[in-house]
Amino acid sequence: METRALGDTGQESTVLTFGSIALNWLEQEGANQLIELVLDHGVNHFDVAPTYGDAELKLGPKLRQYRDDIFLGCKTQEREYEGAARKIDRSLDRLGIDTIDLYQIHGLEYEDELDTITADGGALDAIREAKAAGKIDHIGLTSHGNPKLILDAIDRIDDLETVMFPLNPVVAGKDGDEYDYEAVLERCDAEGIGTLGIKAFAKGSWPSTDELPEADRPYANWYEPVDTPEAIRERFDFAAAQGLDTVVSPGDPKLVAMVLDAASRSEGMDEARQRTVIEEARHDDSPVPEQLHH
Amino acid sequence: MAVDVPETVTTALADQQVEGRVCLEAGAGVGNTTAGLLAAGAKRVYAVTNDADHAATVRDRVDDKNADRVAVIEADLRATPLATDSVDLVTAHGLCNVLPPTELDAIAAELTRIAKPDSRLVVDDYAVPPADAAVNRLFALENAAARVVDGRPALTFYPPAVLAAVFADHHWTVERRKALLDPVPWTEAHLDAHAEVVRAYAAALPDSLGEPLTAMADDLVAAIGSERTGTMYSLAFRLADM
Repeated sequence: METRALGDTGQESTVLTFGSIALNWLEQEGANQLIELVLDHGVNHFDVAPTYGDAELKLGPKLRQYRDDIFLGCKTQEREYEGAARKIDRSLDRLGIDTIDLYQIHGLEYEDELDTITADGGALDAIREAKAAGKIDHIGLTSHGNPKLILDAIDRIDDLETVMFPLNPVVAGKDGDEYDYEAVLERCDAEGIGTLGIKAFAKGSWPSTDELPEADRPYANWYEPVDTPEAIRERFDFAAAQGLDTVVSPGDPKLVAMVLDAASRSEGMDEARQRTVIEEARHDDSPVPEQLHH
Repeated sequence: MAVDVPETVTTALADQQVEGRVCLEAGAGVGNTTAGLLAAGAKRVYAVTNDADHAATVRDRVDDKNADRVAVIEADLRATPLATDSVDLVTAHGLCNVLPPTELDAIAAELTRIAKPDSRLVVDDYAVPPADAAVNRLFALENAAARVVDGRPALTFYPPAVLAAVFADHHWTVERRKALLDPVPWTEAHLDAHAEVVRAYAAALPDSLGEPLTAMADDLVAAIGSERTGTMYSLAFRLADM
C-alpha cells in the first residue's frame, strides 16, 4: 500500500489508517483477526480513542505483538489538565503499551474549548508533560465541526503536528467557510502538519429514529456509509486525491475488508473524475432549481 | 450568493482573469456561472437569457451586496441590447448544446460584436455522448418532441473541434482545452429536467400525441435512473486584437 509522509512527524503512514473503533463491535478473536487482515494489507497507522467502547482493550494484544509495525494515534476529549493526564495514563494502561505515537485533542467544536485547552492548567499542559516524559511522541487535533477553528488551533498550538477532519465529495462541493477544508489542507501543507481524513465513506445521515430506530441500523457508523465495492473504491480514491496524508477507515468492521482492498488497489483519481464525483453529490441535494446541464 | 458554484464553473474560470473584468454570461440558466464570476471578483456581469423563469431565478440568487454588479438581461443572444466592444470575458457554460446548428453562427457573431478586442471566451459543453449511452434515448425523444412542436432540435452535442471552427470564423483562437467532467454524471435530477422538457412539448400537442410522448419520457427516466457517460469539455479562446 502507498505510504505518505505524515506532515513533518517523520512517520511514513500508509494512505489508509485503520479506524480501530471497528474492533469495538467484535469479540476478541474477531478483533485479532481483523487486525491481522489490516496488517496483511500493509497498513501501519492505527487510530483509537478511549470513547470507542472496548476498542482500546481489544486492540491491546495484537498491538503489543506488533508494536514496532504500528504507529498508533489515540485521543482525548478532556479539555483540562487533570482529565487529560488521567486519560493518557488510562489509555496507556488499557492498551498495555509505554508510548502513544500520536495523541490528539479530540472533537474540537468551540472556540472556548480552545481557550481552555491552551490556557494554564489546560489539556495541552498535560499532553506536553506526557510528551516530555516519553508517554507521547507527537501532538495532534481532531475536529468535525469547523475548518476555521482548526486554522485557529494551528495558530495557537505551536507544537501541533497533525489534524484530522472530514473530507468527502459532499463536503468538497460546498463553498461556505464552514466547509472550507481546502484552506486547512493548504495551511497544513505549508506548515508541515500531517492530515488525516475522516467521513470519506459517508453517504448521508441515517433516517430519523422515528423512521429507522437506532437499533435497526445495519451499520455501526454515525452516518449511513457507502457499502458497495465500487462506491468504496471511488470514495477512497477521491479522499486520497485531495492531498490528505492518510484516510481513516470507516467504523463498521463489515466495511473494513472492502476498504483495505480499495486502498491496496488504488490508482488515484484524475481531476475530471473528481469533479464528476463532486457534481454527482451536489445534485443529490441541490438547493438550486434543476437545469439541463452541469 | 447563497448557493455553491459548481466545480465545473470554478475549474473553467480558474485560469481566466475575472477580477475587475466586465463579463457576459451567455445563456444564464440558473446563474451558476454568474455566481462563479461574482465570486471570482468580476467588476460587472451581464447575465443574458431568453428564458423569463431563468432570469427570475438568477435575480433571486444574487445577494443584495452583489446586486449592483449584475444585470440580468432578457434577450435573444442573436440580438442583445449590449454595446459593441463592451465586455472583457464571455462565458457560454452548457449553452451550445441547446442551440440548433442554424443559430450558432449568428450567436457567435453577436458575442464577438460585444466582446472587446483581445477579450476572452470560455465555452463549456458536452462532447457527443458515446453511441451506447442510455441517455441518448431520452435525448432522442426530447429532440423528436422539439422537432414536432418547434421544427428545431432541443439538443445538439457539438464536438469541441466544431465549436472551435465556428468561433474561428469570428477570429477567436483556442488557447486551452480541458476536461471538466469525465465521465458526466447524468443524475436523476438531470434526467428529470430533460423529461420535463419533453412534458412541456407534449403539453403543446394533442393528447393523442402528447400523452404517449410523456409516458415514454417517464418510462425512460425510470429505466435509466442515472448514468455516467461522455465528457464535458472547456475551451478558452482569445479574440484577435484588431
